[in-house]
Amino acid sequence: MTLTSLAVGNLMRNKFRTGMTVAAVAVAITAFVLLRTVISAWNVGVEFAARDRIGTRHRVSFVMQLPRRYVDTVRQTRGVRAATWANWFGGKDPRDPSNFFASMAVDPESFLDVYDEISVPADVRARWQADRRGVLIGDVLARRLHARVGDRVTLQGTIYPGDWQFNIVGIYTATRRSMDRSQFLFHWNYLNESLPPTRRDTVGWIVSRIDDPSRSGSIAHEIDRAFEQQDVQTLSMSERAMNASFMGMFAAVLKAINAISLIVLLILLMVIGNTVSMGVRERTNEYGVLRALGFLPRHLVMFILVEAIALGALSGLVGLAVAFPFVQLVVGRALEENMGAWFPYFRIDKPTIVAAFVASVLLGIVAAAVPAFRAARLTVTDALRRLD
Amino acid sequence: MMEAAEPTPAQTTPYREPVASIVKLDGVVKTFHRGSEAIHVLNGLNFEVAEGAFEALMGPSGSGKSTLLNLIAGLDKCTGGTVRVADSNLGSLSDGALAAFRSRTIGFIFQSYNLLPVLTAAENVELPLLLTKLPGAERRKRARTALRVVGLEDRVNHYPRQLSGGQEQRVAIARAIVNDPKIIVADEPTGDLDRKSADDILALLVKLNTEFKKTIVMVTHDPAAAERATKIRRLDKGQLQ
Repeated sequence: MTLTSLAVGNLMRNKFRTGMTVAAVAVAITAFVLLRTVISAWNVGVEFAARDRIGTRHRVSFVMQLPRRYVDTVRQTRGVRAATWANWFGGKDPRDPSNFFASMAVDPESFLDVYDEISVPADVRARWQADRRGVLIGDVLARRLHARVGDRVTLQGTIYPGDWQFNIVGIYTATRRSMDRSQFLFHWNYLNESLPPTRRDTVGWIVSRIDDPSRSGSIAHEIDRAFEQQDVQTLSMSERAMNASFMGMFAAVLKAINAISLIVLLILLMVIGNTVSMGVRERTNEYGVLRALGFLPRHLVMFILVEAIALGALSGLVGLAVAFPFVQLVVGRALEENMGAWFPYFRIDKPTIVAAFVASVLLGIVAAAVPAFRAARLTVTDALRRLD
Repeated sequence: MMEAAEPTPAQTTPYREPVASIVKLDGVVKTFHRGSEAIHVLNGLNFEVAEGAFEALMGPSGSGKSTLLNLIAGLDKCTGGTVRVADSNLGSLSDGALAAFRSRTIGFIFQSYNLLPVLTAAENVELPLLLTKLPGAERRKRARTALRVVGLEDRVNHYPRQLSGGQEQRVAIARAIVNDPKIIVADEPTGDLDRKSADDILALLVKLNTEFKKTIVMVTHDPAAAERATKIRRLDKGQLQ
């Protein structure tokens, strides 16, 4: 027996209460992990962005278009190895309009050179390039649409109205976490040629592959300088910065999720604090006995803190044991399949695991601070009097 | 040649060494405050206990028995006067030094045993030894020895809930003696026990006093318990009668 084992043993005095506390904290930890994973998954696109890609968009906004000819100018910029472009199509599956996925008109000749994390066999690539209505879809989207290679699908255009027919020529997977595996990629030419002349030959954004990632800033500056005297100016930035600026549009949502996760921690603090306070109150007479035997106030503080730390650590571990399968296998899988455009990779990351465990232990200490302080201030006779 | 003188009657009385006081209270005042009201529980009390004595303190509720016991045990400090116990002036000790004094010098026996329910009998007895630098094996050995003294060597791994009241009090006594204290203070040690168990506990206290030479100061309401002491003191309104 040691002072520490004695303190930890106190947890087993009221097994029901300890069990309920652990369960309550485990639920709070699960909620915390889920919320933090939403934030980290939201930032996957930023974190895992390619370092050797530069995005170029309209200087004013994402939603304004660039002339198609700008792509040729970008390709001629020193340090640019390859460039491609895309237009946001915003198509919907008429059978299930609420089923959101990213549909984009891209250049099949250059798109896979710039996005080489899209993995397709060479014959599929060739088939896609050859078929004007050919479409490549991600494996996650294929499962959601129950689509197979050779199927014909129709999308309803929202930005480009009408029913659009496509042939599924291939299903891609991805070698990088940030790549959305639920995209619908079809020929830009198919879109462009179907538009009225006034809307033709424009692109949503241009993406360049550069030789030297350390020069991304100067290359981006050079691209923008090339269009400074044009009617439409551009804004170029690294893929990471571009994704971050895109994510910046959802800053308020992320702030709200952050705030909620802090509230969850506050709930956790109160649950542990309540349990520790009740235990300390019930054992006041025992603290009196310990003091009578020669134990010092600091020993009582140690007993209470160690008990709270043990409770926090146990609750944190149980919470993580519950959160892991729930977030990773249930929620994560559902989000990746149904909201892959937003959450291409929804997994608990190591910082979240560490934060959840450390928070449960630290909050245990914080929750125990006041009861420990009060117990330490009790005089021996006052503490002993409580039992008679 | 000088003959040896015939012994006088006084010289025939067996010689007794003067017994030193192990507890000595001089003009002790203890005042409690309840709001603005001052309650004088002890007012200039003088009190001595000889080393090796077994004294019973009796008196009505509120007479100051427990307050006196608390002062002797170093659980509380007096408002005035001096309390000397085992050569220590308790009024001059810091809280930390007082705690060390209690741990070294005093063994406590409470009315309601006050064992920790999560610990076995042996662990409860070992508890005061956690404050020492003794290795674990030595602590356990001493705890078992103390339990043997109180006749519970076959209950070492029992939890308090698995023991009778009398057995629990025996464990509490083992805990009180495991540090080999000079003085044992007992506050109503038989108050929660039936007659048979109370007699057993009192016999054990007598054994600790006679065989192990422990000084015992016991507060009790029970005249039968007080009878076992070598001296009975009566306290009323903070004064010895």
